[in-house]
Amino acid sequence: MHEAKICLSLIDLAETHLTRAGGERITALRLEIGDLSGVIPEALEAAFPICAAGTRAENAALHIDRTSGRQLLLRDMEIL
Amino acid sequence: MCSTCGCGHPEVPNGTVAHHPHPEDARRVAVERSILEENDHHAEALRKRLAARGIEAIGLLGGPGSGKTTLLEATLDRLGAEAVSQAAVEGDCAGDLDARRVAARGARVVQVVTGAVCHLDAHLVAHALEELDLAGVSRLWIENVGNLVCGEMRRALLVSTPEGDDKPEKYPAMIAGADLLAITKIDLLPHVDFDPARAIAAARTVKPGLPVIQLSARTGEGMDAWMKWVREGRA
Repeated sequence: MHEAKICLSLIDLAETHLTRAGGERITALRLEIGDLSGVIPEALEAAFPICAAGTRAENAALHIDRTSGRQLLLRDMEIL
Repeated sequence: MCSTCGCGHPEVPNGTVAHHPHPEDARRVAVERSILEENDHHAEALRKRLAARGIEAIGLLGGPGSGKTTLLEATLDRLGAEAVSQAAVEGDCAGDLDARRVAARGARVVQVVTGAVCHLDAHLVAHALEELDLAGVSRLWIENVGNLVCGEMRRALLVSTPEGDDKPEKYPAMIAGADLLAITKIDLLPHVDFDPARAIAAARTVKPGLPVIQLSARTGEGMDAWMKWVREGRA
């Protein structure tokens, strides 16, 4: 439940940076999820296609690097 | 179909430099930003607004049934005449049962029906507070099942004995964000398999030195220590 909300924040953030970079759409996103972030990577992966539908991140590949700590970061993305 | 590459994209007149983007044209853009940045901004703004009014916000975090509302009721009872200077934000998936319980004790309450999302976030709390008259309020209680920061200055995580002593091990993120671990419903210890030492050790593995209070809002055991912690923030 919580992951759906985080997914929407992720897409918002990604689309903001896509616009800033003058891109058209997002093809891949790379995240860093800490084990103390409170986010379950599998739940985020499950929520992503639904949340991304109809956005400029639709069909983007999600790469997740797991780390220790509390951070929940959008590291970088691939755009067209 | 695109005649340049046959990719299925609608035909674009030749001669344009990039007739349409192809995956091999993808470029990498560094972002390096926190996904919860927006919530963090809302939380920080809310914290500042409350602090400017001399209001301390305490978060009561814990799963459904961990005893958040019961502990708040017992706290309001002990605050006596001070109860009227307390305000509370109650997040619930549906209904206003908790809000009515707290309002009956004299506190000002605003109910946030969160629907399927269940947890509160800073934005929801900030909007909820617009409905509340904060004049004369000295302390704001935020009851929340989730762990997104909501503008609290201190956060108490509640784990009740029937939930099991493995809770702190299973939810390290909740521990990491807490300023206090309150083990609730200790009057039930003889009836449940809950080893307080195990729960405390697991919590302090994640957060060394985390203060712990064992209490029962029902019998009053441990409530003095709890009230001392509650009042510490305003000292």
